Parts: sequence; structure tokens; C-alpha cells
Amino acid sequence: MDLILSGLADALTPLSLLAIVAGTIVGVIVGVLPGLGSVVGVTMVLPFTFTMPQVPAIALMLGVYCGSVYGGSITAIVLNTPGTPQAAATALDGYPMAARGEADLAIGWVTAASTLGGLFSVLVLIIAAPYLAAFSLNFTPIEYFALGIFALTCIANVSRGAMAKGLLSGLAGLAVATVGTDPITGDLRFTFGSFEMSAGIELIPAVVGLFALGEMFVRAKERWRPENTATFRVGFRLPPLRDWKPRIGVLLRSSLIGSFVGALPGTGAATAAFLAYSEARRSSPRGDKFGTGEPDGLIACESANNAVTGSALVPTLALGIPGDPVTAVMLGALIIQGVTPGPQLFNNHIELVYAIFMVLVLVNLVMFATGALGAQAFTRVLRIPEPLLIALVIVIAMIGAYGVRGNMLDIWVALAAGLVGAGMRFTGFPVAPMVIGMVLGPMIEQSLRQGLLITRGDFLAFFERPIALALFVLTLLFLVWPLLRDMRARARRRAQEASDEA
Amino acid sequence: MKPSRTMSAALAAAVISLAGLSAPAQAFPDRPVTIVVPFAAGGGTDITTRTMQQPMAKALGGEIVVKNTAGAGGTIGVAEAGRAKPDGYTLGMAPVGPLTTQPHLRKLPYDVDSFEYVCLAYSAPTSIAVRKDSPFKTLDDLIAYGKENPGKLTFAVQAIGSIPHIAGLALAEEAGIEMTYLPVNGDGPALKALLDGTADIFVPHISFLSSNRDQIKSLAILQGERLEGMPDLATAKEQGFDLDFPIWGGLVAPKGTPAETVAQLDDACHQAIESEPFQAHMNKLGQPVAYMDAKEFGAFVHQRYEQNRQLLKEAGFEPK
Repeated sequence: MDLILSGLADALTPLSLLAIVAGTIVGVIVGVLPGLGSVVGVTMVLPFTFTMPQVPAIALMLGVYCGSVYGGSITAIVLNTPGTPQAAATALDGYPMAARGEADLAIGWVTAASTLGGLFSVLVLIIAAPYLAAFSLNFTPIEYFALGIFALTCIANVSRGAMAKGLLSGLAGLAVATVGTDPITGDLRFTFGSFEMSAGIELIPAVVGLFALGEMFVRAKERWRPENTATFRVGFRLPPLRDWKPRIGVLLRSSLIGSFVGALPGTGAATAAFLAYSEARRSSPRGDKFGTGEPDGLIACESANNAVTGSALVPTLALGIPGDPVTAVMLGALIIQGVTPGPQLFNNHIELVYAIFMVLVLVNLVMFATGALGAQAFTRVLRIPEPLLIALVIVIAMIGAYGVRGNMLDIWVALAAGLVGAGMRFTGFPVAPMVIGMVLGPMIEQSLRQGLLITRGDFLAFFERPIALALFVLTLLFLVWPLLRDMRARARRRAQEASDEA
Repeated sequence: MKPSRTMSAALAAAVISLAGLSAPAQAFPDRPVTIVVPFAAGGGTDITTRTMQQPMAKALGGEIVVKNTAGAGGTIGVAEAGRAKPDGYTLGMAPVGPLTTQPHLRKLPYDVDSFEYVCLAYSAPTSIAVRKDSPFKTLDDLIAYGKENPGKLTFAVQAIGSIPHIAGLALAEEAGIEMTYLPVNGDGPALKALLDGTADIFVPHISFLSSNRDQIKSLAILQGERLEGMPDLATAKEQGFDLDFPIWGGLVAPKGTPAETVAQLDDACHQAIESEPFQAHMNKLGQPVAYMDAKEFGAFVHQRYEQNRQLLKEAGFEPK
């Protein structure tokens, strides 16, 4: 208790508070703009932290991190173009809800879910950080491979009504992920002799192209009528309590999934959001409404991806191993601040750890306020004349695509992905599976090949490890279960028909 | 008499053109100098460069812009610096990998002779590290185990053909042991591989070692002498292996940049490295300060280029 109070005192100094508020607002804006992701946001504020005391410096970066993970969902809802890859699954139900005229309500759902998911993970961090860190060490490449394969089943859940097209789209994503440098031998693959291509296809430009540019190209083709932009309701509306009640389960499960996935180094918020979305679709009684603007889908994605923000700090602080690319940048800044992450941090500097916890709590609260107050402005975007909006989004998306690594190739990648994305929209191919493929591809490939190096090429050894085996069995169950269910339903129908005839 | 507007304008124009006339005396730099960092913002190379940025700009009497061009192990950014106009306005912060190891692994649009070498800006040793609770205490323990169990030692490498990888290859060669090399993605994942038991050894940079000393320990520092800051750590040389594998980087300019411009940049680089903020930064990282002038640095890069080519060739790597 003393620790919580002293942590709170550190987090409530004027400079810390300023850093929290400024960081969170910057983060939300970075998240909203397509192409500018969490990593870019945190590196943008990094130079400021060098001259700040420890707690405010950390507060500034955490504000940007959490704000940006949340901010991506707003663009997903308002424009059907996730502002960050982490919010790719949020568009699936967010945009249909906005299209029904309920953009204000959709923003209410994601803002509340993001905050609750974020707070949940802080709780996990406070209670279990050292244990969770120790547990994450049970995940060797073999377990990562099993987790990656399991996560691939998400493709089925986001390919509503277009299973074959969804699978093709997912395969295309996996294929795109192999372009560039081989992760094990360092050889070049599918670069067509181009030196620039040896850097591979970066996720952000591809996602910006597929979603933002793709959507804008489609819109540019359609005839614009002033009345279809004016029907959106703007602002912020919190969903009533009675709508929450049946959805508490989804919220808790998704926050747990996010907290768990976040604690595994090398995964991230995008994976967590997809996993939570497909788990919610499987277990929710409203599963058949997913993809049509069902709040469950929004809750699942947003509580899960924001739960990652807290738990990604688990390995970062407790082991000195960054949980994702964003915490990798933060880890570097911490070391410059003179903080040495690792097991000793929890013994020698527990006050600092608690200050970080309290900062996270405040960041999540400020994030809620930013969402609630800023929603007016964000949803106004819907009232910008469409031609102007399209031009704006294209320019911002291009800046974002280039900004990730300052490579001209990425502009071309974004443009090409934009054409592909538009083509997929016209032909009814879902885009989300492709993103899943691109996110999971590198992890699956690297962990499989590392695993085979460790077992000396013995694939059967993969099944001797309990966690991996459990994940493989779950994967199998998830794949076979819908088939069995359909078969049973069909058998029952046939029996029914037979008895009707008799 | 009230000066007319035309008059004032004419006067102003005269002053400006005079200022323009006096400029050639101090021709370089008359606009910002760009330093291309071949890795993403926020990484070690980036932060070191940005710490140099202000003091070096001051010494140069101009502005410096840092641009990050990441990808393909740093080769994309170094190539960008190499093909810029050779006027001194575009430099690269070129690290050891893209300069002296990557050219031996694959065909690149540049090689060691594509640059004018300006200055070495940082250099720090690496170390052979194992888990803190590992039974190995010295290099001899490690090698004895390796000899008894060929191929059983797993060596986590941050990237194929990187300096840590080459250091591992050199150790295996000299000690006559066989190891399994497990490519992971950088220092963090290598540490994870050690902690979760997937790997036994890796070669971290000295500042990574010093910030993780409650989880890993050094068996041998890979340089000739003990470190001033950490005198308790034994070197490989003391233990009979002459292994010297620092991780370094420095400023390069495109081939053909005028010699006087290079000298001017070198001078500014030297002043930046001597500056108080830069020294304080290196101190925080637990990293010694290092500097070489243009001539020394050029010779050093060529020597390392050749040495790494040999080591990689012996291990079976050749440019494809």
C-alpha cells in the first residue's frame, strides 16, 4: 500500500502529469493518422526524454504508446482504415457500426474497452509481473511456432462468408512476409535482383496501402453525393450499462488474452487483437453477428490490444527483454536514464516500478478523457467533403509509409498494396487475413527453423513439449470443431426430414 | 531627407550581396549537412549519432540533420550515403557490419572503396557471455565442454555474418570445437534464448553486458587489454585466445568528396567526441570513448574488411 501511495506521489508531480497528458494526446493523434504507428510516435518524443527526470520521461513514452494503440481504432471506425496494424480487426465491426450512423457509439465502446483493457493489464503487471516473466521463459521457439500456428486459425474467423478467398488472402500475406532477407541463413529471397528489395516488405507501408489507400481508391471511384456523408452522427456516446452486462465475459477474456500475449517477447498488439477477436467470435452468443457492427468485436480487439501495453512491460522491466518493437525503443531510453531493467529492478528499485504502474493507471484514465473530449473533433472528419478527405488521407498515408524507415521502396510498396487492396475490395476478398499472414509469417518461419535447429531437424520433438502440444491440439480442435458442428447439424436435419416423411 | 522605400530595398540588396560575396571564404557548410543513420530511430547507433549532432554542428559552424534509413542490416542506409553527391553534405554513420562483413555475404552496390573515411566515432569491445548461473567460469571450462560434446553448445547470433557471429566462428576455429549457431533477432532475443535455455552462449556488446550483469556473466572480453571501467573481467587474450572483436562505427562520405572538406568534417567530429555531452553519454552506457582520424580510420576499415573476409571465407561464406 505504501508503495502504491509513493508511486502515486511520483506519478502526480506536475512534470509527470504534464508528460502523461501531453504524451497521451500526441499518442492518440499518432494512432489516428494512418501510417504513423506506435514506434514512430515513441521515437518522436524520445529526444525530449533525455533531459527529463526518470518518471516523467517514462510517463511521456508510456502516454504515447498507450494513446497510439487506442488511437488507431478511431480511424478504423470512422474511415474503415485502421490507423495502426493493431487496430486492423477493429475495422471489421467498427466501420459497419459507423455506417449505421452510430460512429459516436462505436467510439464510446472502443474508448471504454481500451481503457478497461489497459487498466486490467496494469493490475496483471502489479500482481504478477515477476511470475509472468518467469512463465514467459517457458516459451522457446517451439512454443512460439505452436502459438503462431494457433493464431493462424484467426484467418477463418475474420473471413466471414468468403472462406476460400480469406484463406487465399492469408496465404498471400504469408508469401509477402518471405520477401527480403532469410531470417536464418541471411540469403536473399524474391528480391528480383533489386538491392532495395533486400530490406523486405515492411508491415506498415503494406497495411497503409491495403487499408487506407485501398479504401480511398475505392471511394474515389464511386460517385460522391453530399448526403451520404452527412448521415453520420458525430461525437461520443457511452454505451448504456445494460449493454455491458452480457459482454463482461468478452471483456475479461480479451483482456486476459492481451495481457498474456503481451508478456511474450516478440509478439505484439496486432496478434493479441486478432486472437481475442476470433476467440470472442467463437465463444460469444452473438458470434453470428460479428462483422456487421457487433460491439463484442470492438470490445475484444480494443481491450486486447490495450492490455498488451501493460504486459509488454513485463519482460521489458523484469528481464530486460523488450516485449515488442515499441518497448524496445523504451528500453533503450530507460538505460540512458540510468535504469537497469532485469530481476534486480524489482528488488532494488521497487519504488520506481510502482511509479511506472501508477503512471500507467493515469495514462489510461487520461486516454479515456482524450477519447471522450476529442471524439467530437475526430468524428467531424466524416463531415469533410469526400474529395478533400481522400486527398488528405492519401498524403498522410504516404508520409507514414515513408517515415517508418526512410526508404523510397516503401512508397512503392504502399502504392502497390493500395491497388491490391482496392482490387480485393471490388472482388470480395477480405483484407484482414492478409495482414494476419504478414504479422504471423515472420514469427512462424523463424521459430519453426530455430526449433528445428535446436532439435536437430527432429520435428516430432515439437510434440514432446507440453505447452506446444496443448496449442497444437487446440489448433486442431478449432479447425475440426466447425466441421463437426456442421456435420451434426446436417445429420440432424436429415433425420428430421426422414421422420417428417414417415 | 526620408529614405525612400526603393532606397532601403537597394541598400538591403547591397548588404545581402556583400554578405554573399564574403561567403566563399567560408564555403563549407552553407547549408545543413545530413548524416544518414542506417538503422531505425531509437536504436544504439541512432542515439549515439544524435548525441554527436549538436556538438559537431557547433564545431562545424552549420547545421546537422540526422536521417534514418533502415533495412537489410544497415546496407540500405550505407548505400544511400555512398551514392550521394560527393560534396560533404551527405555523410553516413557507417557501422562495422555494413562496411566490413555484409560485402562478403552478398552483392552490394558499394564496397570498402566507395567511401572517403572521415572519422571513427565509437568502438567498444564485445564479450563472450553465458547465463549467470552457468557452470562455466572461464573460457577453458567452455572449451572443455565443447570438446567433449561436439555440436552441443548452442551459440545465439544476433544476425548471420555479424561481428558476434564472426567472433564465435573464430573462437570455434582456434579452440577446435564445434558449435550450433542459432540466429535470433538482436541482443534482446539473444538474452531471451540464454535465459530460456535455448542457447548457451552469445556475444553481447559491452554496454549490453553491463546493463544485464545480474542475468549474464562474461567469460572473456574480446580485446587485448582489460577494460578500464570493468577491470574484474578477464580478456580472451589472458586465457590464450587472441580474439579482438570490437563493435565500431564512424562517419563516411561518398568517394570523391574534396580532401579539405573531409578534413574539416573530421575536425568537427573530433571536437564532438571530446565534447562534454558526448563523453557523459558514453559514460552512461558504460562504453569507452574512441576516436580515429580520417587516415587512421580508413586504414583500419580496410584492415578489418580483409580480416573479416578471411574469417567468413574459412567458415564457408562467400558473396552470392
